[in-house]
This record gives sequence, structure tokens and C-alpha cells, in this order.
Amino acid sequence: MPEGARTGKSATAIPLRSGIGLRAPHCREIIESRPAVGWVEVHSENYFGDGGQPHHWLERIRADYPLSLHGVGLGLGSADPLDIEHVRKLARLIERYEPGFVSEHLCWSAAGGRHLNDLLPLPYTEEALDHVCGRIEALQQILGRRVLIENVSSYLEFRHSTIPEWEFLAEVARRSGCAILLDVNNVYVNAVNHGFDARAYLAAMPADAVQEIHLAGFDASGPCLIDTHGTPVAREVWSLYRETIARLGPRPTLIEWDTDIPPLAVLTAEAGKADHILEHCHAVAV
Amino acid sequence: MLSLSELQTVFSRAVIERDERALTGWIRGGRGLDAEARIDVYRTNVLGNYRSALREVYPVVLALVGSAFFNRAVDDYVLRHASRSGDLNDFGGEFGDFLAGWPPAAELAYLRDIARLEWAIERVFHAADVPLIDLRALAAVPQATLPALRFELHPASRIVRSVYPILRIWQVNQPGFSGDPVVQLDAGRDDLLVIRRAAAVDVERLSPSELALLESLAADLPLGSAHARAQEAEAGVDLAALLQRHVLGGTLSAFRATDGERA
Repeated sequence: MPEGARTGKSATAIPLRSGIGLRAPHCREIIESRPAVGWVEVHSENYFGDGGQPHHWLERIRADYPLSLHGVGLGLGSADPLDIEHVRKLARLIERYEPGFVSEHLCWSAAGGRHLNDLLPLPYTEEALDHVCGRIEALQQILGRRVLIENVSSYLEFRHSTIPEWEFLAEVARRSGCAILLDVNNVYVNAVNHGFDARAYLAAMPADAVQEIHLAGFDASGPCLIDTHGTPVAREVWSLYRETIARLGPRPTLIEWDTDIPPLAVLTAEAGKADHILEHCHAVAV
Repeated sequence: MLSLSELQTVFSRAVIERDERALTGWIRGGRGLDAEARIDVYRTNVLGNYRSALREVYPVVLALVGSAFFNRAVDDYVLRHASRSGDLNDFGGEFGDFLAGWPPAAELAYLRDIARLEWAIERVFHAADVPLIDLRALAAVPQATLPALRFELHPASRIVRSVYPILRIWQVNQPGFSGDPVVQLDAGRDDLLVIRRAAAVDVERLSPSELALLESLAADLPLGSAHARAQEAEAGVDLAALLQRHVLGGTLSAFRATDGERA
């Protein structure tokens, strides 16, 4: 009997293939057509409700695909206290859906009880490093599992930052024991916005810690690149991705698309491009 | 040096209250963008997120007032009602009450109730699933003890009351509505049941006796008292028919004898 046949769930482990970000407009089509993507990822908070259609759909999709829960609201770098109620809802979701990955962002999002509901940049200081590592350790302890932490796009840098972003991220993983969700698009966006070498950033990533990769599109119409998740993955980002996979070996790779959501076929075609790279990579020893 | 906590406080103030004085000195300028422009990127993103969240929850309010007016309302709302959750789906529950006291909307007296209706629809959409009442268990209750029964309303149901014809306003502003869009504002009150059966959320008008019955049961009054209130609201009410409609229709999702087990 295949794994999951008794529980109504597909296998839990996320395969070394591409997956897609699951968004409401595509749910019905995915259930009916079962596209050949390796796995799906949802924003955890979109399933914090108790019931209704979102859960009906997700349960049916979970029966066919491994699932990753990607949080956008915990703000692990916020100086405000960790929101235990939020963590409790996440824990309940994990119990219900048995996800292969649980991830969050390296950012802050609330101050003085006010949530800005955005992925805000940390100053890269020893204080921030201590703080966010403590939070990640607390989260992993409560959930009883390793979480993945994703680098975010940013549009400013703080003068009192003393640690390069890539060293900060690598040190977070080393100290807290978390895995890294490496968003190659965010690395590219920040490299352009802040004038560093994206390749040096990627080369500094500890290979063992990187367990998932995100790819998405950005908006280049303004004075700096904005991470909108509303366009195809850029050519430069595909190049960086190809190099990253060549160095690390294959990693589960997610195509994210959150604004101006295209037809499902566009998303699965992007995922197909990532799969092609994953299948043809020849990882060098690291 | 600014502590992490202080930095986040001044950052929040800069983005939300547009008071950037304490923050700009901590931001590296250059690459063609000064500190103010960089903060503004975040302000655009943060306010944009709030606006998109409320546009999704309040499409009829948006249709009634237009995009520019709606955005201005959201931006002012954010100043007075901070988002208190990392889950953006929790944001916006007081938008109706805010609009009722917001001077630019003073002439749109019905706006508050439309917003309350849309918030009820949003909450009902995400509320828990529960099974229907076991009809055999209900039928087995001895006739004499019926008045002592207490009922629970389905978690995916809400009652919205208004002195304005909000159901009609809501209906003519649905996408794809074709027909006469004129609404007579003095057409009379609408007391509405918002309920999710299967996947879709329905909005239905309640008669005065139904409203009294359901509100009494929601307040945990026993069926006998709820029946009396329904009678006061509308003489000659057919209790059996009302109960049947709301048990079979799922509005009532559980019952218990006053001292007994929930069924």
C-alpha cells in the first residue's frame, strides 16, 4: 500500500523537483487536472481559519501532492514578544496537513503591537543576530521540528549594520540549526538594489543548510527592483539558479506568483523550466 | 546606537504616521535613492497590502465609493485601527464602525451596515465546519421538554441587522448583476442571515419572528422563551415551520436539554 493511502495524504517528503505556490484561483483546476508538479506550497496564514472551502480544497490537493507551509506573518525578527497564538495556529495546521517543510522569513513585521504585515529588513547587527536566533530556536522547540528561514528582498540598508547579509543568514543557520530557504530572486534584487555581488552571496551559502529554493519575478519599473511575485522569473535569475544548482546539487524549487496571477499553465511551464535544470545539473563537489 | 526595538518603533512611525525624522539618519542613501525615497517604497508596500486586503473583503463598499475614496478611507483607518495580527485576514473588522464616524462618508449612512455585512460574509467563509443536527435525536425529545431545549447557531452563520435595504444594495453591486440597479433607500429594513452551507456563503432575509427566534437562541435562551419573543415580534408565528427551516437549513447546529448533553 503506497504511503498516504490510509491517511488520504500523498507522501510527506518534498521531492527534489519543482513545485508551485498554490493560490486560490488555481485550486479547482489543480484538483481536476492534477498537473505534473512535484509539490505545492501555501501561505500558512491563509489556512488559519477553522473551516470552509480553503480547507476543503487543500485537503483534496494534499491527497495528491506533498505540501510545504510557508509563513509570512510571524516576524521572527520583531522585538515584540513571539506571538504564541500565531505559533499555536501554525502547530495545529502542521498536525492537520503533515507538511514536508515549514518555513518563515528572516525579517521583522510588528512594533509596539502594531503589525505592518510586511517582510521588513533587519539591521545586520550582533543584537539582531542574537535576537532572531533566539526566536528561531524557540519556534523550533515549540513545533518540535527544524524550520526553513528565507532571505527577503530589501529596499534599504541600515547604517549601523556590521555584518554582510549573506554572512548573517549563514550564521543564523549555523547557530539556530535552522535550514535555509534560499530565494535566488531576492538575492538578485538585493544585489542590484544595494550593489553587491550576487554570486559572492550565493557562494557563501552553506550547502547542507539550503533545503529549498524560491524563484519569482520582480518589478523593474521603479527606482529600485521590487519583489512583486507578479512576473516570470528573470533571465539573470535563471542564470544564478542554474549556477546555484550546479554547486549545491538539486534542491526542491518553488515558483512563486502572487500578484497578477497567470493561468495555471504559465506557472507549470515555469516549474517545467526549473525541473529541466534540476534534471540536467551536474553538481560539483562542495 | 539605536536598539532593535527602538529602530522598529521609529520605522513603524515613519511608515504609518509619516514621521520619518528619527529614522532617516539610520538609513544608507545612495544608488540614486535617498533615505526618504527608500522609506517610501516600504510605505507604498505596507499601505498597498492593507488596501488589497480590505478590497478583497469589502468589494461592495469599494464599488459604492470608488477606488480613490476607498484608498483614502483605508489609509485613515490604518492610523486609528492598528493591525493586531500577523495574519492579514484578521485585519479590517472595525472598518464599518470606522466609516460610520469618518466625516467624508457622513452622507452614506448605509455604508457601515454594508461593511458589517461584508465582514460577516468574510468570517463565515472561514468559520468551522460542523455536522447538521441529528434529526432522529431531535425527534426523540419528549414533547413536554421541548420548551427547555437550547440551540446553538452554526459557527459559519451570522446575523446582520440594518434599518436600510442592504440586501438589495449588496445584490445590485454584485459582479454580473443585470437589471434595474436603482435602490430606494427608504424601502425598509433588512435583517439578514449570513450562512455557509457547503462551500458557498448565502445571504438571506429574516422575517421579524425568525430574527427574534434566532437572536434569542443565540443568546442561549431556551426554546420556550425564544418562541415567546418570536410571537411578540410577529403574532401567529408557526414555530414548527421555523424550526424545521433552520434545523434542516443548518442555521441551528446543535441542541441540548437544559441540564443535558449537547447533541
